[in-house]
Amino acid sequence: MTKDNNSFRGGSKYILDDELAKVVNVSIALEMPLLLKGEPGTGKTMLAHAIAESLKMPLIVLNVKSSMKLVDALYQYDTLTRLNDSRFGDSKRDVSNIEEYIRMGKIGQAFVSDLRTVLLIDEIDKADSDFQDDMLDVLDQMQFDIIEIDKTITARNRPVIVITSNAKKDLSDPFLGRCNFHHIAFPDTGTMRLIVDVHFPNLGRDLSEACIEAFYRLRDFKGIEKKPATRELINWIRALKTDPEMHIKSLSRGNAPYLGILFKKSADLAAATQQSARMR
Amino acid sequence: MFIEFFYTLRERGLPVSPTSFLRLQKALSLGMIQSVDDFYTTARAILVKSERYFDMYDQVFAQFFRGVALKAPDEIELTEIVKALLEEWLKNPEQIAEALGLDASELKKMTPEELIQYFLDRLKDQTEAHHGGNRWIGTGGTSPVGHSGYHPGGMRVGGQSRNKSAVKVAMERRYKDYSQEGPLTEVQMSEALKRLRRMIPSGPKDIVNVDKTIYETMRNAGEIEIIFDRRLSDRLKIILMIDNGGWSMDPYVEVVQTLFHYARSQFKDLKIYYFHNTIYSRVWQDAERRYKPEPIDDFIRKDPEARLIMVGDASMAPYELIHTNGSIYIDEVEVGTGIERLKFLAKTFRHAVWLNPQREDEWRHTFTVGMIWRVFPMFELTLDGLEKAVQHLMARH
Repeated sequence: MTKDNNSFRGGSKYILDDELAKVVNVSIALEMPLLLKGEPGTGKTMLAHAIAESLKMPLIVLNVKSSMKLVDALYQYDTLTRLNDSRFGDSKRDVSNIEEYIRMGKIGQAFVSDLRTVLLIDEIDKADSDFQDDMLDVLDQMQFDIIEIDKTITARNRPVIVITSNAKKDLSDPFLGRCNFHHIAFPDTGTMRLIVDVHFPNLGRDLSEACIEAFYRLRDFKGIEKKPATRELINWIRALKTDPEMHIKSLSRGNAPYLGILFKKSADLAAATQQSARMR
Repeated sequence: MFIEFFYTLRERGLPVSPTSFLRLQKALSLGMIQSVDDFYTTARAILVKSERYFDMYDQVFAQFFRGVALKAPDEIELTEIVKALLEEWLKNPEQIAEALGLDASELKKMTPEELIQYFLDRLKDQTEAHHGGNRWIGTGGTSPVGHSGYHPGGMRVGGQSRNKSAVKVAMERRYKDYSQEGPLTEVQMSEALKRLRRMIPSGPKDIVNVDKTIYETMRNAGEIEIIFDRRLSDRLKIILMIDNGGWSMDPYVEVVQTLFHYARSQFKDLKIYYFHNTIYSRVWQDAERRYKPEPIDDFIRKDPEARLIMVGDASMAPYELIHTNGSIYIDEVEVGTGIERLKFLAKTFRHAVWLNPQREDEWRHTFTVGMIWRVFPMFELTLDGLEKAVQHLMARH
């Protein structure tokens, strides 16, 4: 692995596992988008932030919505402002120059940026498969056309592209064919200890041990549809810290408060409350 | 060596494309891969595109890189991969060009024979380059398993991986859980059913229609006239009919319940009816099938654009379907056969499907499934099946 400044070694608040670091670096070298899957709350989105931070590149986030069309992600032609300007003429823009009314979308911004950027395309599974395939075409060729002004925008610097998906089902084959793929597994206790340390450097050893132990025990409850993930653990510890009546002993005895932070579905919460009462 | 690996993956049913294989070669030639560990991770990221196949990949990898010596690929294998390459080339010349590190225009000038030759030459480079690489596999000896065996229960994820060779990691089969098809959860259902909607304008007029605005403004000689439209919202009507009787449906209660819950929370205009085995003169709005009957004949008055979803195993005694008075309930005096009722429904609602919780390969063992299959398009109650059903429901007939 190249150990120069351009290889990625994790961010200040992100514990990077070795495998993932390799995958990220290979993707950057091969200039391919990296598709990340994994349980919600395992840090898929965080990874892009960490890459941007560590490589000192600006981060551009495209949050995909189900109603989104590809062109929205590329550019917008602000017809209404132009109409308004043509009517009242009190702006400094030149109405006859359409280009002044073109605004870049997120992908467009990443292309025209002077610096190399990290482009995060979050939750791609929300869009339909046409959007996904067309977008990959654009990212493959690193250029798109603005039809209104008959101009082709070509990427000045090829952005580092990270795509996340929450979908259980697979994306389309042509899409997958153009990406590298990694699945972020749920961290084990050792990694989780590191993650907790990074987020709560002042938390006592005993308390963090007790929290993590209790957390993995709670995660093992049966019949839970949405299991608590790293994000929930962090929030939970934050809540425990503010509670002056919290004692490590009661936590390790199986007495877990604030279950609502960990279990977000009412059926899950009910099941968890029941099972944790039985454990006591 | 790698070609064999590639083919073993393919044989085991992993969908690995030649393009991605070439991409792996490129990663090798870029010097990105310097150990088996690197190879394990990189090859997986490039070749395997779904966590469902990770387990299979682990198995092949472990079997493959466990103390095996490097061996040059033989002729037959090469012809095979060349064949695959050519097929891919015909489909997508640019990608192959890129993977080979060639210009697309250069590639176009090549005849297929030249291309093959070029590819083979490159491959030879590759094996030679890595022949120093006999050691490539396992720096500390022929077997990569040996060189790092001192931490048997150690962790892989989280920066402690140095204690473990990739082969060992592969042998752990960490992704076993992902390879199995779990039961259908509500989240998965929502993914499959997400496209089941029909957008119709409704509500307040608060969306600017740019095209119309410009047109009207021009008509107004430049005086701005902004035209608003109503927002589009989902107004799809769904009729869900569930077979909730009989022991034959018992094993599927859970999955049907999930579907039911999802449908209840998601669709605004949803009617749920119950029946047992097949439909006679009426269906019920209550699950006990007792208090709120609704005659089937009334369904002709319902919106024909509504989507009808039948859920049931479609398994019953044939006479229940074909006989007049076939009903197994004494108090139901029937007119017309069960199958005619079904045909009536299928004719009334153009968009109708039957979801069968039984596996598709079991269907032909039951006579009545075949009969109903001819009336309703039938789909498995699985992720794939749901998706196909939704496609069918949303298609314009």
